[in-house]
Amino acid sequence: MANSDGIILRAERIRHTYRSDGIETPVLHGVDLAVRRAEFVTIMGPSGCGKTTLLNVLGLMMRPTGGAVEIDGSRVDGLGDGEQTMLRRGKLGFVFQRFNLLPVLSAERNVALALELRGKSDRHDAERNRSAGQRVAEALDRVGLSDKRRHKPGALSVGEQQRVAIARAIVGRPRLLLADEPTGNLDSRNAAIVLDLLADLNRSDGLTVVMITHNEHLADRADRVLTMIDGRFEQQ
Amino acid sequence: MFSLAVAHLAHRKLRTALSILAVSIGIMMLVVMLALSHGMLNEVADRIQSVDAELIVLPENENVIFTAGAAFSGKYAPVIDAFEYGGRRVVKQTIGVMLDTLHMGGQQQRLFGVDRADMSAFLGRREVVRGRLFDEGRAFGDRLDGLRNENGYYDPALVGEAELLAACELVIDERLARVGDYEVGDEVIFLGRPFEIVGVVESGVAGRVFCPIQVLQYVKNGGVPWVSLFFVKLHPPPLAGGDQDRLRVGPSEASAGGGASQVSYEEAIADALSERIKAKVELKGAYRDLMYESFSQVYVYINVASGMALIVCFIIILLSMYTMVLERTREIGILKSLGAGRAYLIGLSVVEATLVCVCGTTLGLGLAIGAKLGLEAAKPLLTVSIEPAFVLIALGIGIIGGVLSALYPGYRAARLDPVAALSME
Repeated sequence: MANSDGIILRAERIRHTYRSDGIETPVLHGVDLAVRRAEFVTIMGPSGCGKTTLLNVLGLMMRPTGGAVEIDGSRVDGLGDGEQTMLRRGKLGFVFQRFNLLPVLSAERNVALALELRGKSDRHDAERNRSAGQRVAEALDRVGLSDKRRHKPGALSVGEQQRVAIARAIVGRPRLLLADEPTGNLDSRNAAIVLDLLADLNRSDGLTVVMITHNEHLADRADRVLTMIDGRFEQQ
Repeated sequence: MFSLAVAHLAHRKLRTALSILAVSIGIMMLVVMLALSHGMLNEVADRIQSVDAELIVLPENENVIFTAGAAFSGKYAPVIDAFEYGGRRVVKQTIGVMLDTLHMGGQQQRLFGVDRADMSAFLGRREVVRGRLFDEGRAFGDRLDGLRNENGYYDPALVGEAELLAACELVIDERLARVGDYEVGDEVIFLGRPFEIVGVVESGVAGRVFCPIQVLQYVKNGGVPWVSLFFVKLHPPPLAGGDQDRLRVGPSEASAGGGASQVSYEEAIADALSERIKAKVELKGAYRDLMYESFSQVYVYINVASGMALIVCFIIILLSMYTMVLERTREIGILKSLGAGRAYLIGLSVVEATLVCVCGTTLGLGLAIGAKLGLEAAKPLLTVSIEPAFVLIALGIGIIGGVLSALYPGYRAARLDPVAALSME
């Protein structure tokens, strides 16, 4: 549940510097961000400005060099690896530009895997009594791929693969969906389908979405558009 | 996790097949080497157990497994016969045996030179399936006994070559007859003389080949009645009822080495007899242990060779799993982004490796059975005995080896940085 001010995700003064072979490359320079529950936020900006790094920090995939991250009102950046894994498993959903489906599994097994990994963290889910199979079927139905549930990713079009990735991201009913250029590898028709889907999930299900995109037309569908330049938001 | 592991294995069929093959070869080697070595020793030990006697007596410095020739004076026989323990005679029968080797059935065979009158102790309930026993009516034995002086010696010149040749007879067991395609009436050259196969007995008797001990003593010792060892059959213990074969007696009744623990009737007599005649007295029941003890160095070699084979197999598994981690770096990143923890990733690696090892072990056991059948067809006198314990050992080693060889690759997978892993092509 979001905290009392309705903020589900808060990032304060996030800084991050990559270090490699003694060379330091600062990427984020004190980014502040607050996302309300059920908000659809897009982040735009040129390549290399730090969008994906910020998303990885927000998604607990990367520890920032400095700053604080709160999810549902709880500070999470200092948690241990295990606790962050549990949070990622229970509250976050990811959609990537490259889909990141497991090629050895069918569409429904890819989706089911997310549920399987949720495991015990799913214990308090209100729908815990429903079978995993039902939930997988519903998620695939939601993205319009019920008829292709047994197909492996290699047998699906790129648009379909991304829809499977979205089904995988939403099957566990996350509070926050983080999408890193989900339409970047899609043609305009499929991009529109995916964006419609994300917008519908946001409107109908109240899913909070933070999406990175280069496409200004797609960004217009969001409640709020943030532009990042050189490691900080423009309006900062 | 299980279905993902299966999917991974099915996706990389060739690598999975090669890994399974590697494990199966190691397991097959282990099982076959164990089955071959233990099978052969146990088969010999079982045959010795078939002798109707409790003790084996031989010179102090001889090894019961390797002793042969005329190592022991036959004058010990009456002393052993008359041996008293607890105020009564305890020896029912003393059976002198002269051991030698001859080539039959494609390999060296241990030849048991035995008095015709003692053959019943070796046959037990086993029957002569073809022909007859050697030295029928003990004619040759009686003839020589008639020539002996009070010391048991006789002048070999009194025995004609024709008389000797008539006594050069062999009895063999069915297994050797089948392997060597021997029939009653066939001749085998031994000690420069033709020995006629006069009978075939059921398999399971102590020796595969028997001949009259008097012939061996004549040819090799000039008639001196020395033997290689004695089998000694005891009278039952004095008390009626209960387990007479293994009656327990107190340490005070044991002549030597009783200590605080109780010793069996046979052990007590063996110790006392050994003390009395200054010779080595072994329990027939300990023959198997003595064999294993005697071949302990061979077992070290077998165990080391088997262990090395298994280690190589598990290194192959480890490399296979490690390669898998490198190949699936991106996939591991995906799993981590979905919330897979360290335990899941290590578990996935372990499950995959364990599946490979279980399949490899099963295939290895199948190959071992095939190898057993092949070896026994090629060398029918070999006994390759795949015991249930070997199957359990193979399964245990296969599973434990699989788990151990998957831990490090799994640990590496668990330590991968998800962002770096996702950026891999």
